[in-house]
Amino acid sequence: MIALGLTAYWMFTPHVVRVRISTTTSLYQTGLLDRLAERFEEKHHHVTFEFIAVGTGRALKLAERGDVCAVFVHAPRLEEAYVERGVIVGGRIFAYNYFVIVGPSSDPAGIRGSESAAEAFRRIYRAGEGGRALFVSRGDNSGTHVRELSIWRLAGLDPQGRPWYKEAGQGMAETLVMADEMMAYTLSDISTFLSLKEKGRLTNLEVLYSGGEELINIYSAYVVESCGGAERMYAEEFIEFAAGPEGQEIVASYGEEEFGRPLFSPAASRLQELKALWEKLAGAQG
Amino acid sequence: MSIVEEVLEITLRSLAVSGTATLLASTWSVPLAYILAKPGRLRGLIASILEALVGIPTVLLGLALYMLFSRSGVLGFLHLLYTAKAIVVGQAILVTPLITVTACRVLKSARESFEEMALALGADDLQAMAIALRESLPGVASSVVMGFSRAVGELGIALMLGGNIRGATRVLTTAIALSVSMGEYDLALYLGAILVAISVLVSVTVKLLEEVQGP
Repeated sequence: MIALGLTAYWMFTPHVVRVRISTTTSLYQTGLLDRLAERFEEKHHHVTFEFIAVGTGRALKLAERGDVCAVFVHAPRLEEAYVERGVIVGGRIFAYNYFVIVGPSSDPAGIRGSESAAEAFRRIYRAGEGGRALFVSRGDNSGTHVRELSIWRLAGLDPQGRPWYKEAGQGMAETLVMADEMMAYTLSDISTFLSLKEKGRLTNLEVLYSGGEELINIYSAYVVESCGGAERMYAEEFIEFAAGPEGQEIVASYGEEEFGRPLFSPAASRLQELKALWEKLAGAQG
Repeated sequence: MSIVEEVLEITLRSLAVSGTATLLASTWSVPLAYILAKPGRLRGLIASILEALVGIPTVLLGLALYMLFSRSGVLGFLHLLYTAKAIVVGQAILVTPLITVTACRVLKSARESFEEMALALGADDLQAMAIALRESLPGVASSVVMGFSRAVGELGIALMLGGNIRGATRVLTTAIALSVSMGEYDLALYLGAILVAISVLVSVTVKLLEEVQGP
């Protein structure tokens, strides 16, 4: 009887496909993915997206273990390694924005007006050695951390082990709060910084250096090769949607009402250029 | 620094931080337990409150202390935030209810069975207390061991008050959390094995010491 009931229940309940997607905390916390998923679900009633927000390293690891069906990440070098091993396929660039160097408004290292990010880092290094500045690093092999290390390399410096260089080993929001408390500099994605600033959690930090191709932050989406069936079909469709005209429109305007400016730029109009930059980042950061 | 050296450094820091926190907590928890080990309404009330606090989420306590120690917090002038000292303070507070409640239980039966007898035989209050404490030493020691195990295994306080800074405040649990977030599951399990081994070793050592000193 119970078995019959359960079978009937299963047969007559509209079957909902759950699509699991792992992503980085910084992207997830902006709410962009939820907005994209909401729109997608409006048209496809029997699909529901479940986002697992973790560090980029773990997001890709979850893909490798087959625990998720898609990944939305921003670390070209790490992505490249998993693409090469055939774990993730069908990469699409769907958004980009820029990293910013933030620090105390008093700017003890004087990085305002630096000509490049590497130059700004050199100034921080000098001020650090002189005991006038601190730098908090993510230190967690995240997309942001990987980028920070490549800027140090561009600057020809190795800050590791220096007393003023603090490796936090935590997420972006925690690292920003630490930098704010310590009156230190750090590298952040613009969206996490703005959302924390908006919440009043950062009283000392300001954007001191921004712009430039060297600080571009490229977000890509992939399907996990080991995923199959309806889940994979919807995962592929969702990625198409995010990179397609409707998704790109959402990307272009997202964040305007809350932060007064969009948090991301749509990738579609600059795709060739972004692909070249992505290749460069995937290869150059070792 | 090689990975082995780094793991060793993190392990020693975990031992030092949580060991200090536990000993610090014991200096007030054991006397408190002794006071609470006598029947009384107020005592009963305090004991039940402490019992409820045994399971307090570490991240909640971590957040509350973070607000206190923050630059803009009441105790910001102490500059404790993101130091190993801050973790010691946090963990000491964390394990206080656990040590007090468990030690209290042992001391209660000791006070009931030995103290009155000692007093009846002409001992003064202090002597009676010394006898009760000595008789319940194994039980009190295991309370302290439990406290250490909770301290060394907690994550929320070490993460929020210490900041998981490499070479400064990184301990075993925050290193495990970091390895997991980086997808380095093998390293995380390896660190976890060290953590469990430490707890077991401390517990067994205390038991052995008791047997050597035993009655």
